[in-house]
Amino acid sequence: MASIVRLSSVCRRGVKPLFFQTTLLARPLVVPHKYQEQPYQLTAKIHASQALYAGSGSKAASMHWTAERVLSIVLLAMGPVAYLHPGPVMDYSLAAALTLHGHWGIGQVLTDYVHGEAKIKMANAGLFLLSTVTFAGLCYFNYHDVGICKAVALLWSK
Amino acid sequence: CPLFFRSLARQGLCLSRTPSLQISPLLCRHVAPMGTTAKEEMNKFWAKNAKLNRPMSPHLTIYRWSVPMMMSVTHRGTGIALSGAISTFALAALVLPGNYPFYLDLIHSLWVGPALIALAKIGITFPVSFHTYNGIRHLWWDIGKGFKIPEVYRTGYTVIGLSVLTSVAVAFLV
Repeated sequence: MASIVRLSSVCRRGVKPLFFQTTLLARPLVVPHKYQEQPYQLTAKIHASQALYAGSGSKAASMHWTAERVLSIVLLAMGPVAYLHPGPVMDYSLAAALTLHGHWGIGQVLTDYVHGEAKIKMANAGLFLLSTVTFAGLCYFNYHDVGICKAVALLWSK
Repeated sequence: CPLFFRSLARQGLCLSRTPSLQISPLLCRHVAPMGTTAKEEMNKFWAKNAKLNRPMSPHLTIYRWSVPMMMSVTHRGTGIALSGAISTFALAALVLPGNYPFYLDLIHSLWVGPALIALAKIGITFPVSFHTYNGIRHLWWDIGKGFKIPEVYRTGYTVIGLSVLTSVAVAFLV
């Protein structure tokens, strides 16, 4: 329900909806009575569905976008929580969230600047390798060394 | 009235697609066929222009720089820098012998004074602060708010101010 209200309020202001749904937004258009056999509303239809125009029917890109924002918010929350409750749970959570956020972020940078099928593939493969090594390294640090939370604390103790 | 006939035609199109139902306009779907995706179009653009060896039009060198533009670049720059720093740290953890406190003491023995230490702290805190505050600004945009130009500038200056304040506070007070 909330999403429908949201969409219609956005629609009234003439702003393009940001959360893509497959429902249509309708602005009623009343037609002069003499043209109507039975009263009904003709509507101008505005598509909120990105998938239809894409022609592929895939919601993958849209879901990725949403996941990126959700992760950003989760990462934001992790800051204060890590400050208040440092320890292995936060260490590994931060390792995962930071790595993934960075991976997706650099992924967008590559999408913007790298062109050509082969180059895109190579760049993304390189990024994947880098992110994997980064996550491995952070986990190693968490396990064998002081851990991320303690490391930040120590850095500021001087 | 052409508007009426166009609407009727649309209605008629919809009716023919699902003849068994009493069609509510809300359930009716437009067919607006586009042969390619945006991604395909972009690839075609790059392929064609690269093949013809066309130079790129000047952009960064001629466009008038603005605060929002610089903040966007900085957001990306800090993001890349922070990601690079994290990856470097992770790699170092895997490759270097010894442990973190050891290296921390090593670095501290090299520092020549409190000024340099403060500078280093700001150097770390500012990118994190800026990227975080501007990230919140981005999320604000993502829910559709704050796009009017005065708002863009207002939130922008707020981010810059907060970043500077946070960096200085964390560097000197903690």
